[in-house]
Amino acid sequence: MASRKNFRLLDELEDGEKGKGDMSYSYGLADSDDVMMVNWSGTILGPHNTVFQNRIYTVKIVCGMDYPNVAPIVSFVTQINLPGVDPSTGSIDTRKFPVLNAWQPDKMIRSVLKDLRSAMAHEGSINRNLHQPPEGLVYDIEEEERE
Amino acid sequence: MSMASKRILKEAERLAKDPVPGITAEPIEGNMRYFSVAMNGPEESPYANGRFKLELYLPEEYPMSPPKVRFLTKMYHPNIDKLGRICLDILKDKWSPALQIRTVLLSIQALLSAPNPDDPLANDVADQWKSDEKRAIQTAIEWTRLYAEPLP
Repeated sequence: MASRKNFRLLDELEDGEKGKGDMSYSYGLADSDDVMMVNWSGTILGPHNTVFQNRIYTVKIVCGMDYPNVAPIVSFVTQINLPGVDPSTGSIDTRKFPVLNAWQPDKMIRSVLKDLRSAMAHEGSINRNLHQPPEGLVYDIEEEERE
Repeated sequence: MSMASKRILKEAERLAKDPVPGITAEPIEGNMRYFSVAMNGPEESPYANGRFKLELYLPEEYPMSPPKVRFLTKMYHPNIDKLGRICLDILKDKWSPALQIRTVLLSIQALLSAPNPDDPLANDVADQWKSDEKRAIQTAIEWTRLYAEPLP
């Protein structure tokens, strides 16, 4: 299925490069000459009228060999206090996010980013007012991986 | 079977029976939409003596829409970017349903002989090509040696 994955991701990349969709999220390859297009980096702009407002969250997305049949592996790089996000690593409990929980092959990287953003913004949800770590901190796990 | 599927089947049969010299295209995944391609670099080009891997996909709309093709082998060429994407008019607005997989692959092979730095996809490579063509060609020869499969 490698080939199907590749052309699907090339299409997604092209959409991302053209900036399709609204300005509240963006994504691209983490490494611009990664021919297999495994590692992606996404950003989510915190929704208005929430504690996340005006903050930019970086998210790591890994599309494995079986993508899009299998969901990508997603984790927050920027520290965030949000139910379903491990407070010490940024990794995501997929059961807490509908798109990842009930993954369908027609879903895309942007569907994941939108889903994460809507979790921050749920009307009437306590998520909107959760106390947040200082802006711009990242999870230490990233540093360990780099070493 | 739909007209499109019949056409694809015919094209694939002809590619197998009467292959384009120096190019092989084999269907993968058994669904006739994805092809694994290998292409010899044209003689007297910086890509000579190398064999390059590509992948080709026929979208649902084919032949009304062009095939999608990219190099999997790293290429130093002004019209091919870091991900192997190819800037070629017949893969975009100059596509016609009268063209075929065969013609597309021949055009890509021709593009290797005739780089066009004035219509670049890889800007850094195109700049190098325009400012110091000799050195650019040297780099292309070097990358062929490093990344392509050597031709016997």
